[in-house]
Amino acid sequence: MPRFLVERSFADGLQIPADEQGAKACLAVVDGNAAEGVTWVHSYVTPDKRTTYCIYDGPTPEAIRRAAETNQLPVDRITEVRVLDPYFYR
Amino acid sequence: MPSVALGADAGASGVLLERAAELSVLVDCLEAVGRSKRGQVLLVGGEAGVGKTTLLRGFCEARGQLARVLWGACDPLFTPSPLGPLLEVAEGSGGELQAVVARGAMPYEVVTALAHELRARTPTVFVLEDVHWADEATLDVLRLLARRVETVPALVVASYRDDQLDRAHPLRILLGELTGGRTVGRIRLGRLSLGAVAQLAEPYGVDASELYRKTAGNPFFVVEALAATGAEGIPDTVRDAVLARAARLSRSAMALLEAVAVVAPPVELWLLEALAGDAADHLDECLASGMLVFEPAGVAFRHELARLAVEESAPPHRAVGLHLRALAALADPPGGAPDLARLAHHAEAAGDVDAVLRFAPAAAARAASLGAYREAAAQYARALRFGDRLPAAERAELLERRSYACYLTDQNDAAVEAVQGALECRRRLGQRLEEGDLLHRLSSILWCPGRTGESERAAREAVALLEVLPPGRELAMAYAHLAQTYSAAGQREEAVSWAGRALELAERLDDTEIAVHALATIGFCESAEEGWEKLEQSLQLAQRAGLAEQVARTYILLVERAVGVHRHGLATRHLQVGIDYCSDRGLERDRLYLLASRARLELDQGRWQEASDSAAAVLGIPRTSITPRIFALVVLGLVRARRGDPGQWPPLEEAWALAEPTRELSRLAPVAAARAEAAWLEGDRDAAASATQGVLPLAVERRWGWLAGELAVWRRRVGLGGEVPAEVGEPYVLQLAGDWAGAAERWRRLGCPYEAALALADAEEEAPLRQALEELQRLGARPAADVVARRLRELGVRRLPRRPRRATAANPAGLTARQLEVLGLLAADLRNAEIAARLHIAEKTVDHHVSAILAKLGVRSRREAARVAAAIDREPAARR
Repeated sequence: MPRFLVERSFADGLQIPADEQGAKACLAVVDGNAAEGVTWVHSYVTPDKRTTYCIYDGPTPEAIRRAAETNQLPVDRITEVRVLDPYFYR
Repeated sequence: MPSVALGADAGASGVLLERAAELSVLVDCLEAVGRSKRGQVLLVGGEAGVGKTTLLRGFCEARGQLARVLWGACDPLFTPSPLGPLLEVAEGSGGELQAVVARGAMPYEVVTALAHELRARTPTVFVLEDVHWADEATLDVLRLLARRVETVPALVVASYRDDQLDRAHPLRILLGELTGGRTVGRIRLGRLSLGAVAQLAEPYGVDASELYRKTAGNPFFVVEALAATGAEGIPDTVRDAVLARAARLSRSAMALLEAVAVVAPPVELWLLEALAGDAADHLDECLASGMLVFEPAGVAFRHELARLAVEESAPPHRAVGLHLRALAALADPPGGAPDLARLAHHAEAAGDVDAVLRFAPAAAARAASLGAYREAAAQYARALRFGDRLPAAERAELLERRSYACYLTDQNDAAVEAVQGALECRRRLGQRLEEGDLLHRLSSILWCPGRTGESERAAREAVALLEVLPPGRELAMAYAHLAQTYSAAGQREEAVSWAGRALELAERLDDTEIAVHALATIGFCESAEEGWEKLEQSLQLAQRAGLAEQVARTYILLVERAVGVHRHGLATRHLQVGIDYCSDRGLERDRLYLLASRARLELDQGRWQEASDSAAAVLGIPRTSITPRIFALVVLGLVRARRGDPGQWPPLEEAWALAEPTRELSRLAPVAAARAEAAWLEGDRDAAASATQGVLPLAVERRWGWLAGELAVWRRRVGLGGEVPAEVGEPYVLQLAGDWAGAAERWRRLGCPYEAALALADAEEEAPLRQALEELQRLGARPAADVVARRLRELGVRRLPRRPRRATAANPAGLTARQLEVLGLLAADLRNAEIAARLHIAEKTVDHHVSAILAKLGVRSRREAARVAAAIDREPAARR
């Protein structure tokens, strides 16, 4: 399955509390993804919390967008990526 | 070691171990159906022996008081009786459904009666078992029922083996179509765990881990193995287990078992006596052993795996004897008409050639009359295996019928082969009229997969051959078909001229079908306003005469033309009706053409999400016809390219690889334009130039204005000079003349927001470029927006919006994406039910969306909302 880097921006910053509510919010996203066959691997968030870079596995970019719509998340750009590991060539 | 046989009950309780989750899905679905009166489909998949039937039986028995159960099972015959399972269901229901099925109705008529039946009592559990064996007509019934399942208060359950479906299996195609719908759920049954196997093994004192290792937790195998385990230990295979168990029966009971195994579907008691004679007295012994069970239709094996094992172990001479006896008995059943498919099956298995030649063509004709063309094709093939015993004319006729059945079921190579065989017979017999008729049929079959050169040659040959004979229907047909060939190639003058001859002759012969065909071709090719009138006229004539294939063809031509020249209202109107029409009548190939056109329409309207959904629906159905596939690939590639999503090139390359060898303008031009656009978005001028190079001259030569205009604009956009073609589509005239403002306005009025923005982007001034930028950002067209932003910076403009502001992206009234979709459809004058169908959501949900939209827009009526929608579309920049 292809892997994608999904860039999102949040004008007011992304606020996910580090408690049960935050956990619930994240799991809701996982549920929303499941219907489209999309898996959220993990994300990087900028210190101002206005931009996230999310690694996703999914069948097509359309599925990534549909899942984003279900979860009411913005999408700025989708790029297909592969893993490059510094120790890969060792 | 307990020697008590494990009966069906033991099997059932065994399999219902570890099935609590699946059972509760079934129960929840049934309760939801009972509450909402809206039906659902549940697909139950799993390998052979995993316990699908047992689960469903258990569910139906437990819920028997709460719901009525209608049950139909598909038989494992190589070529099953068409609508066999529905016959069983109709016997259970009686009434209208039974009458309709008995008179040999087509699938769509059966579904109408079935829907009435399902509405008569609430709720119903409607089970179709083993649909991997279903005939084509039964699959059509399931397909059509699933599409309207929300309108009946029934839980529709279809079970199937998922381990033996190859890519082209008709069920796989159906499953692909069904998934994604919000009314379709799936259950997949897995094997038993070691714990469950141990629980089953415990009373037998069998080594549980050994049993688990050998059976891998397959419930059927576990139960059989437990019943068969003896001094030699646990049997190694299902077959060993079944045979070891059967070996404990008396010799007569074993003979009876063999008879039931050879006959395959449930064996009626009268047939059992005819087959097994006195051995039939030993039925009780077989039932007590648990190997056979009673079903409403007769006696059957508890499981198909057991039947196969016994059938395979029967010595050939005994099997042939049984087939012969079955043949004789089934030819003269005590009540009702003989089952032709079963007769043909036993005739071939018994090696009785005369009987094969008698029953197989008759079974084929019956299958075709019920719309089960796949089974018809197989029965004709069965007869043709002994075709050398037939006179040439008879063989030719069987080959012709097989070819048509193959053509309709997308077995293209087989259709070509059959038609060529028939041609050879007709030539040898000197039957010129039939030869000419076959040639144009060959031409249509060759056209679908893009063998256009051969197709055109055959079409011309047909006309040449028939023109020297007295004029008749065949010649008119050949004219009409040659006209269609030219029309597809974009040679419109030739098309109109040949269609004119067809029309004239058809009118002289008073043949409506050919007249309708020719009239539609002329209507499609004439660029003037009259063209539309002729298409509409052809549609009405075809509808009045009940010519379903011609109705579908005219819808395709109407919609393709309307989408091509951006008459979106007209296209929308005919699209929905046309898709429903084809859907109801099982005209799947024609439906694909319309779906592909819908994808293009949605793309042009800037509804990219829907466009890519529609394109994916077309691409999910593998068929030989390349035209819908090319259009869908183009739409998918363009949606990705315009959004800046990855993976835009593979679909565009595949589309080109399909279109290029056909050398047909209608297939080449859209791909060429799409590749030019994708290249331009990447800043690759050379690629944009070479994508359009060969095709533009062709479009100019064929005077296809809209295609020529689009290609010329792309060449202009990447800075290529060259002549401006004389006749191009309206907005392109303005664009090529440098009138970006006029062109943008024209595009906007046509309802093409992306094209309007690109027209503005052709300007060299700040204001229109800024407007283009905002518009492209609103559409989510990142790469094109980047191109415009770069141009603005080159003009010295600073402080550009980097990305759409929140309010812009969301839109002024704060509608959600879904609400915007609903608003768009509402503005297109669709009713709530239609909107629900289009978006695959419940009508109630649409009601909610509409109220929310009215509230957010602050208007009171749908009409006002539509007006606001139009304003948002028209003046996006002015509002901000």
